[in-house]
Amino acid sequence: MMLTLLDELLLFSGATLLVALFIGRGLAAGWMVTILYGGQLLALLKMAVLGYGGGTIASSLSFEIMGQELSWRFDGLSWFFALITIGSALLSSWFSCGAWERSYIRQGGNIWLFHTAMALNVFTMLILLASGDLLSLFIGWELVSWAGFLLMVLAGGVATSAAMRYITYAMAGGMAIFGGLALIYTASGSLQLEAVTTAVEQMSGAKLWLLVILFGGGFGVKMGLMPFHLWQAPAYAETPGPGSAFLGAISSRMGLFAILLVLVKLFGIVNIESLKLPFTPIDARDLLAWIAVFTIILPTFTAMKQNDARHLLAWHGIGQGGYMLLGVVVADAMGGAGGLLHVFNHATYQAALFMAVTAVIYRTGTSDLNKLGGLVVRMPLSFVVLLIGIIGLAGLPPMNGFVSKWLVYRSLLNQGMPLLFLAAVIGTLGTILSVYKLIHNIFLGQLRVEHEHVSEAPWSMMIPMLILSAIIFVTGLLPGIPLEWVASALQTVGLPVPDHTLGGIESASGSLDMIWVIGVLFAGFGVGALVFYSAGRSKRVHQLDNYAGGHFLSADVRYQYSDNFYAGLMHLIGGWYRGSFLWLERSIRSLVEFLSLGMQGLYRRANAEFYLLTTALFVIAWVVI
Amino acid sequence: MSATELLIELTLMPLVAFVVGMMMVLMMRRIAAKLQRRVGPPFFQPLYDIVKLHSKRTQVSHGLIHDIGIVMAMGGYIAAETLLPVPGMNGIAEKGGIITLLYLMMIPSLGLALGVGQCANPNGSIGIARALTAMLAYDIPLVIVVFGVAYAAGTTNLIDIIATQQAGGFETWGVTQMPLLAIAGLIAMHASLGKQPFEIYIAPAEIATGPMVEMGGKYLGGLFVMQCFQLYTTAVLYVSLFLGGGTTWFDFLLKSFLVLAIPMSIAYLFPRYRTEDLLRLMWKWPVMLGLIGIAFVI
Amino acid sequence: MSSIKQIPVVEAKRTNPLARVFDDLVRFCRSRSLFILHYCTGCGAIELPPAMTSRFDMERLGIQPMVSPRQADILLITGYVSIKTLKRVILTYEQMGSPKYVIGICSCTVNGGMYWQSYATAKKLDEYMPVDLYIAGCMPRPEAVIEGLQQLMDRIHAGEANSWEDYYRNYDYYLGNQQKLFGEDWQTPTDVISEAKHYDLLSNGTLGDHTRLLEQHQKPLEALEMRLGHEQKEPAK
Ligand code: SF4
Repeated sequence: MMLTLLDELLLFSGATLLVALFIGRGLAAGWMVTILYGGQLLALLKMAVLGYGGGTIASSLSFEIMGQELSWRFDGLSWFFALITIGSALLSSWFSCGAWERSYIRQGGNIWLFHTAMALNVFTMLILLASGDLLSLFIGWELVSWAGFLLMVLAGGVATSAAMRYITYAMAGGMAIFGGLALIYTASGSLQLEAVTTAVEQMSGAKLWLLVILFGGGFGVKMGLMPFHLWQAPAYAETPGPGSAFLGAISSRMGLFAILLVLVKLFGIVNIESLKLPFTPIDARDLLAWIAVFTIILPTFTAMKQNDARHLLAWHGIGQGGYMLLGVVVADAMGGAGGLLHVFNHATYQAALFMAVTAVIYRTGTSDLNKLGGLVVRMPLSFVVLLIGIIGLAGLPPMNGFVSKWLVYRSLLNQGMPLLFLAAVIGTLGTILSVYKLIHNIFLGQLRVEHEHVSEAPWSMMIPMLILSAIIFVTGLLPGIPLEWVASALQTVGLPVPDHTLGGIESASGSLDMIWVIGVLFAGFGVGALVFYSAGRSKRVHQLDNYAGGHFLSADVRYQYSDNFYAGLMHLIGGWYRGSFLWLERSIRSLVEFLSLGMQGLYRRANAEFYLLTTALFVIAWVVI
Repeated sequence: MSATELLIELTLMPLVAFVVGMMMVLMMRRIAAKLQRRVGPPFFQPLYDIVKLHSKRTQVSHGLIHDIGIVMAMGGYIAAETLLPVPGMNGIAEKGGIITLLYLMMIPSLGLALGVGQCANPNGSIGIARALTAMLAYDIPLVIVVFGVAYAAGTTNLIDIIATQQAGGFETWGVTQMPLLAIAGLIAMHASLGKQPFEIYIAPAEIATGPMVEMGGKYLGGLFVMQCFQLYTTAVLYVSLFLGGGTTWFDFLLKSFLVLAIPMSIAYLFPRYRTEDLLRLMWKWPVMLGLIGIAFVI
Repeated sequence: MSSIKQIPVVEAKRTNPLARVFDDLVRFCRSRSLFILHYCTGCGAIELPPAMTSRFDMERLGIQPMVSPRQADILLITGYVSIKTLKRVILTYEQMGSPKYVIGICSCTVNGGMYWQSYATAKKLDEYMPVDLYIAGCMPRPEAVIEGLQQLMDRIHAGEANSWEDYYRNYDYYLGNQQKLFGEDWQTPTDVISEAKHYDLLSNGTLGDHTRLLEQHQKPLEALEMRLGHEQKEPAK
């Protein structure tokens, strides 16, 4: 039997898992696993034809269960997501080797479990991405959920409860998906992808609505869409450093992949658009768009209130997911491209950001934004990485986040959707506020006395961070590179593809050429620098030589503004944080608890004959009716 | 267009912006003086200030990021000017469009925010926190306005937006086509200038000029240069969106100065809002006007 | 300290006519753009608002008030200086960017004025920092203040208002007087000696007994240099 390229990839990935599983205890194991991720990347690059035009590559593995054929294959969409998955796994794993690993072990962490969980995550994600029918999709989905749980639960303590919360949500989502599968199976008698299309054609509006809700909700849980977003931030934030970089980069995008596959490719945006919400002018597509927009705004403004760097980033991860969904459901050429490109861009800067924060934790032992400050003079490279990352996250030129957000904005503008546009911009503005707080409280302001002797993160951590920063900048300068892959992925799901050049987008209604924009920007900086540096030599002063209204500053009294950073804003909007979703979650939980208590009571008191009788009665009633 | 021509345009546009910007600063100070029944500064005062600040012997730096912040504050605007078409010169306006321009206009203030951050002065940090809050306040109506104009024109290309307005004379100007958006834009523009009653982040008596607290010498000088650019960019952007741009330099500059004189004349009559009142004001009236205006456009 | 004025100061001669024009332009701009920091210590402060506002309008001379010492060129001391205040005045003065000018308004800054017998005021301001100009009077009218400022402008334009260099050249003298008043453990957050080196103004009077005394108890004030080193440095015990 000939091995196809996909087989090679999956075998490689399985081998990585086995290596991590069996020899993951040694200190060199990290390097070995990293090299194997590199091998996976090479195996993926051998399939690069998928990223430049399309086609599919099937796996030779396939079998039948109960008359259903299970098969696995890769197409442009899978390739695009797999590239991000393996890329972020490679860099996170690289980051974890050496210095970080040692300190992790010193703090009592189980490095074997960590490497195994990472490898398992990558393996299951590849299986999910390769799924060729709905059953394999579901199997891959469940595998990914449990693998994610394994990685999240590693840190113990708070992380365990966060992971438990995650798995509860994930299981509920899985149930919803399973319900959707059952519906499709009853309608068309098959779980092949084409079956969905036939099922959709035959279905009534109400049934289709149910399907959209079941699939959208089920996949949305993984993406952290409103109102299923509560689990994500604590679960990602509490994962050990490189793990959170990996999870934050790609894990929840699996939900977007499934949505693209099922809702966009198989259902078709047109069908979704034809579903009207009764008594209102909105349809299912608008509903999805508004969910996306709320997913942008609310988590972003929650992030702004976080006092822990990792939690802040994790909340932003949820918010940025909204942009991707928004672009995809607008579903014109620019929107689809923007949404998908944002998956790539987000993965790069989110991983870089989590790594930079992990580096800070590695050196200072804390990620509490009120206990840091002024670190730029001690960790300048980490500062640069974090800076590049936040520029990307906030979506400002010259980094890559700008291009994808620009595409999303343009599509909303072209389609004439002012409110969605406005909401997307509000999300961006909120992001700017929140990331400034992040960089200010960690790296700017006054250096604390206890951090005077901190030094830069070790090279084993620095190099992956710098590679990511380079990717962020280069794909911002030449967005044409990832846009090629995006175009191929868009073709696979049947969305239109925008005209793109190496430097950006060509369009009759206003184009974008990042090469020019960035060129001019840096030329401007050059002129500014010329003016600035040609005037007198500056003299560096100590941070305590500072204006304090005539007060004598001393090192033992903090002279720093970090807590309640946007006090004025919070005066107005502080009261709007109601925690309604937390309240909802709590009330559902107590309702379940109450019911189970009631059941328990009933079970204890009543006798067996009574149960038998009622059951029998119900059965008879069901049969008769 | 040949490469040399383009290069000349790219150098001339920021230069013109700087010179006109200095005159706008002068106008601002003269208006303030007139309203307070003073004589006001001499004609070259903005130039004196900038030269003096750059020639100070002491240049106190709190570190590399402090320096880079100032470079970015100046450089960002220099870059932004090349995306802003003026009579006879388009620069690279069609390569970016208005959304890119709006984002480029944020770069200087964010660069400055970084620089101020390294000064390790809480007054500065509070100032930046307030400035970003103010940005959140005025950018929302501004974005509505920009959306409305770009949607009505069917393009994000500023050259085309100006051309459609000039096509039919005064009747096709943005201000006559979309008066509500024009009013909302004027309010947002006023707030974006950071003048009274919206100068929450300067607040000299309260947080010691906020971001500028540790800036002396060429650092402050850089901010003065930035202010020239800021006034120019804001005014010209408004003229391009609503007043039909300029066909000749004369009417272009006339419109720019006039449109800037409106907020200036209002500014010095008022004390200052508190942050939350600014937010409330910005999120209520201009947003409402802007949304109604958009409803007319669509 | 009158004797200090007699020490010959060698000015670097610039022979290039263009450079001379440039220097002249710079001096002219310096004289026409003065940012004042009014340290409103005593009663004299009350004369400043009229000098600034519509009646006398300092802005037409290019003078405007500023808030923080970093931004300012002129330090206006407007009246008696109590010892507690003097500490802050010195701190503020040292934080200002040179070329900087000090103007003592009111008789109290010249010789203690009517607070001559007070135990709590510093008598002569120029014992603690070089003063460019005194405007005497109890208190001087805005006309006098403006007149004084114009004199200062002329001197700046002529290149004579260089007393700020004196603070670096004779730091030991000023520090000695400050230590006499505030005690031996007196220290400001500004590292004046390293600044003197930075401006090439280190001379015989900069270092002396008093600066040695300062060094004995001085908390370190070197700037926190940006460090790229990857080795974790153990804190020095
Ligand atoms: S000189 Fe007269 S007015 Fe001035 S501070 Fe002294 S007592 Fe007050």
